[in-house]
Amino acid sequence: MSAPIPNIEDLKNAKPNKAAGARIPLVDGIEKVTGKAQYTADLDDHGAFTGLIFRSPYAHAKIVNLDISAAQALPGVMAVITGEDCGAPFGILPIAENEYPLVKEKVRYKGDAVAAVAAVDAETAQRAINLIKLEVNELPAYYTPDEARAPGTVDLHERRKGNQERSVNHEFGDVEAGFSEADLVKENTYHCAEVTHAHMEPHAALAEYDAERELMTLKSVTQVPYYVHLMLTQCLGMDSSRIRVIKPFVGGGFGARTETLNFEIIACLLAKATGGKVRMQLTREETFLTHRGRPETDIKIKMGLKKDGKITGVQAEVTQKGGAYGGYGIITILYSGALLNAIYDIPNVKYDGYRIYTNTPACGAMRGHGTVNIRFAFESLLDNIAEELGLDPIEVRRANLLTSEFETVNGLRGLSYGLPECLDWAEEASDWKEKRGKMPKNKGIGIGCSHFVSGAGKPVHWTGEPHATINLKLDFDGGITILTGASDIGQGSSTIITQAVAEILGVDYGRLRIIANDSAITPKDNGSYSSRVTVMVGNAAIDAAKNLKGILVEAAAKKLDCAEQDIECLGEVYRVAGSQDPGIPFQEVVNEALVGTGTITAKGTYFVPEAFQGTGKQRGAAVGSSPGFSYAATIAQVDVDEDTGLVTVEKIWVAHDCGFAINPLSVEGQVQGAVWMGLAQAFSEETRYQDGLHMAPNFLDYRFPTMVESPDIEVKIVEPIDPNGPFGAKEASEGALSSIVAAVASAVKDATGIEMTETPITPDRLMDAMIKREREEKRNASKKGAA
Amino acid sequence: MEVLPDFEILCPNSAEEAAQMASKKGESRYMAGGTDFMPNMRRGLEKPKAVIDLSGIGEMQSIEKTGNGLRIGASVTLQQLISADEIKSDFSLLAEAAETIAGTTHRQTATVGGNVCLDTRCQFYNQSEWWRKSNDYCLKYEGEICHVAPTGKICRAAFSGDLAPALMVHGAKVELTSAKGTRTIDLKDLYQEDGADYLLLEPGELLVAVLVEKLEGYKTAYRKVRVRGGVDFPLVGIAAAVKGNGTQLEDLRVGLTGTNSKPVSLEGTADLCGGSFDETGFKALEKLVQKQIQPMRSTFSPSHYRRKVALNVSRRLVGNLLEN
Repeated sequence: MSAPIPNIEDLKNAKPNKAAGARIPLVDGIEKVTGKAQYTADLDDHGAFTGLIFRSPYAHAKIVNLDISAAQALPGVMAVITGEDCGAPFGILPIAENEYPLVKEKVRYKGDAVAAVAAVDAETAQRAINLIKLEVNELPAYYTPDEARAPGTVDLHERRKGNQERSVNHEFGDVEAGFSEADLVKENTYHCAEVTHAHMEPHAALAEYDAERELMTLKSVTQVPYYVHLMLTQCLGMDSSRIRVIKPFVGGGFGARTETLNFEIIACLLAKATGGKVRMQLTREETFLTHRGRPETDIKIKMGLKKDGKITGVQAEVTQKGGAYGGYGIITILYSGALLNAIYDIPNVKYDGYRIYTNTPACGAMRGHGTVNIRFAFESLLDNIAEELGLDPIEVRRANLLTSEFETVNGLRGLSYGLPECLDWAEEASDWKEKRGKMPKNKGIGIGCSHFVSGAGKPVHWTGEPHATINLKLDFDGGITILTGASDIGQGSSTIITQAVAEILGVDYGRLRIIANDSAITPKDNGSYSSRVTVMVGNAAIDAAKNLKGILVEAAAKKLDCAEQDIECLGEVYRVAGSQDPGIPFQEVVNEALVGTGTITAKGTYFVPEAFQGTGKQRGAAVGSSPGFSYAATIAQVDVDEDTGLVTVEKIWVAHDCGFAINPLSVEGQVQGAVWMGLAQAFSEETRYQDGLHMAPNFLDYRFPTMVESPDIEVKIVEPIDPNGPFGAKEASEGALSSIVAAVASAVKDATGIEMTETPITPDRLMDAMIKREREEKRNASKKGAA
Repeated sequence: MEVLPDFEILCPNSAEEAAQMASKKGESRYMAGGTDFMPNMRRGLEKPKAVIDLSGIGEMQSIEKTGNGLRIGASVTLQQLISADEIKSDFSLLAEAAETIAGTTHRQTATVGGNVCLDTRCQFYNQSEWWRKSNDYCLKYEGEICHVAPTGKICRAAFSGDLAPALMVHGAKVELTSAKGTRTIDLKDLYQEDGADYLLLEPGELLVAVLVEKLEGYKTAYRKVRVRGGVDFPLVGIAAAVKGNGTQLEDLRVGLTGTNSKPVSLEGTADLCGGSFDETGFKALEKLVQKQIQPMRSTFSPSHYRRKVALNVSRRLVGNLLEN
């Protein structure tokens, strides 16, 4: 109607938009780079009260008295709430809901949320916080798994005796028999420090309660608006239909926001208590304390290899310091075991995992959930054994490859496997054969491989609904609105969904707009975690677009007076295939399609095929299952400064099998991000606690790398086309991460001869190791001399 | 967002006026670039009644030639220092040190005076009010115990400015103004080994300018050790000026930062000079550094590491300067 009438030449020359595989900038990129994007803290807070949290200075203590009377009496204070105002606990796993928005009876870490205040301004709120008096009986506090598991300890949680949240004991095949077949069996221990996500945007929430209608609206920084919605229903005691959750632009998540966080519920509780609007903007320190990062991990791993490099068995014991609450902990400890599989062909695998409660901020999901630390240990030990057997690190990996269609001993299935091609490219591009073991002193090159799921086969909350749903709205204006619940947190999900719809319909991007994450408007989505969105929501988008296309083809056939199968869809033009007639423009097809029905809504869904939901019979078998696994091989080249122990990463070559790159530009960006995050964990990032106090709750002491540390990164996209993926795509963000840590550790070993078994490989740790080796060499030399 | 305390802002037009304001108002603080001061205020580490904003004082914003040296106004920004023509030829050491400070945007506003007077830093001090309260505060501020050295009676926070060692190598003096008048002292005499009271300034005294001398025939370099190549404060920073060639060492000046509660002007280097400088000389240099620095548990990185790299880097730095 409003569209300009295309001329005949336009119609004749029409070609469908080849969107899948196009290197387009992110669809929401302009808002971000121009500063127009509104993040939660930027939203209209007119008339909002300021919410602040009173946090525990004690690591483990029973509350004797919590006096909020002075705070309540302070003029300008609108509400003060405590654990008594919290009716129900929350938690991401229905089997592990052991956290209250504000504590009841006891505090479990320094920083635990005890009370919250809403006041007319930040200054008043802070003064009210200062007036709150907390009296406690301190309990023994435990900062390491060993302390927490020692006999006679006080339990952090009543139902978890001995502070063990979960133990996992799995054996597939016969690992002892595997070791007895091996020519060399070695065991080593590895230690990885706790790390956190360090997303740029600190936590924030804006909650508004409509007391007249009893409606709650929350705008928050979440990756999982649906799970937040569920927890609000539970913790506010409200009907879910009276709650609306909106996710504005989000400045990164990396797993920090894949579960409902206490401040989101607290903001709503305060809004309800004040009968108004409450804004919470957590400090960077509070964002650190909210945490949910990757746990400190101790790994004991044993592996057997035959002379030709074939792995005969792997046995691993993993202990994770989980922090004070459950969070995703059970999934993390399960992932660590499950993902020992599905990267190499290993016939015998034994895994013992222990998740332990400690009096530190709760850990949770972080990019490469559960697999980064164990992968570092695995790859390091594999290198170590290969060296002793005189095998090249790449060859030893080649000796253990899976086939492109596989089922592992623990029941994980895959239909594509690009690791061989990743290895080939990395070897060639890096000039590996000329470099490994042949570089000058203190320079070295190393390799690591890794993999990750493209979405969990089974969602956290099993409801029987599809894994993903997309709605498309097409109206009189000819514009197509994509409605999705998928959370774009910077990873580009809105762009991928847009490209998927554009590819199927062939229309110009200008015709498409995407509206995401408003529970009142968009369909439910489980959220952005486990790298599920490209595969699951992408497939749903394809389904929805196909359904819409069917309607349009039917209308075009009617208009052009031909059979539907004779219609050729050229995106912006529909014509009778093979005819001289130039066809009709999209708008005319739309006008025809609307006759008698009006606004069109097309829906698409996706279910993970049952065979990819975990076929194992073991408890927790669903964890690790996925419609597709991504693969990566990374080669790192480093230079070690002997004077300072500082490692300079000179170059990274990283090949990533993402099945098919719907947007290669975006894939490259994601892989580069994985490189940076991997380097961060490998060299500098770590949280540390002294008597339970976080020693680096700021971006000065929590040292993520800067642009200065960024090496030259060469990304190769490997595309084996996965039958389960949208256009063959798999995930493209988490998979490469764990290979980075392993690759740089391998390179440091090539440069110095020292196997660093602890991350981060900070300059002081590397220096200590070099000094230790020097002493040992001197001692050996003097022994020889004496002999 | 941490709430700022209430304070009055005063905007003097001259150094003298600033000093008068400070003498009238007790509990006032001078503020130049504010890149360190503002975060500290937000963390409750500074609670001044008045903040005296120095940005309107023109006389403190220029670099002037003075015969054989320079007079650098205390309000000269680090970026101004880095790009000043006067600096490029004979004072490149200052620009080299300045370029290692913080990040690009900080250097646009952070000043020479601010870095010279930079508050000492400690992992038990540069934390939020909640954090420090949960840890019973500390000897530097509001508490009784130094968590770095609990048995000691002195604060062990580390001086972490990068300019001071480079300036010391250039024989810097500082021009100070107070309501009582003006005085000029050696930069090294501005500091003392007490992290809680590291500046020997009279109450209300203002650093107006830094005076430096040209180093004729010296080769200079600054090396900063830190985990990241940007943003980080020094774990150890070493400035050196060497006169000599190959194995002959005529004169050596060394300044260190990040290791003590004050910047260290290495003493005793004269004994190493005036002849051939070989392994014995390097060992003697290491010994001087070893004796005069005292890195403590004030940073996230361990102190034994800082001690070791101070020795390694001193040796390497002086060796490289001699060779080239």
